[in-house]
Amino acid sequence: MPKSVLIISRQSPWSGPGAREALDIVLAGGAFDLPIGLLFLDDGVLQLAAGQNAKALQQKDLSANLQALPMFGVEELFYCAESANARGLGKLSLDEAQPLATEHITALIDRYDQVITL
Amino acid sequence: MSTLHVLSHSPFGDNRLSSCLRLLGSADAVLLSGDAVYALQPDTAPFSALQERKIDLFVLVEDAQARAIAIPDWAKAIDYPAFVELSIHHAKVNSWL
Repeated sequence: MPKSVLIISRQSPWSGPGAREALDIVLAGGAFDLPIGLLFLDDGVLQLAAGQNAKALQQKDLSANLQALPMFGVEELFYCAESANARGLGKLSLDEAQPLATEHITALIDRYDQVITL
Repeated sequence: MSTLHVLSHSPFGDNRLSSCLRLLGSADAVLLSGDAVYALQPDTAPFSALQERKIDLFVLVEDAQARAIAIPDWAKAIDYPAFVELSIHHAKVNSWL
């Protein structure tokens, strides 16, 4: 049984390559059927904002990659409810992601064999 | 199952430390390295936050010395060999990159 990995993504989508790289790790893990989870924390929850427009910055956006997560077998998708509330996020672009309160995030980290915070 | 949380960024430039303290489990420990040792600058918000939480706190002594940061008696100064040992004593290490 391979070790389970939790990726904690806490970079905003437009500040640099961090958000995309975290997502690439998760997608690669999913493609190899690794038990992998993804938690959006702090500015990372901004990746889930609905209605983002990558064309305005002449970049590719993350939404296609985000929608691919369940297809790649990544079903453990979470976001920090407190981070999302603090940033005024309402409707999110990833229906599969579940909100977690702080105490449940502590338990989530405990449950995985490895944790990587990017 | 305990986690060693490793911080290496200045707490004045971002919120890694505050998020880490928010999510910290009761058996977890925190290690300050690199610019994260600036959290021990007296009379600052990060210093008070750490002092009040009474967590298992470790500091890489050479990073503190290089930055002229005094290590308070409620934190434990460690060197690199002790860092390795500390990593082994926890089920996992979460580096806040």
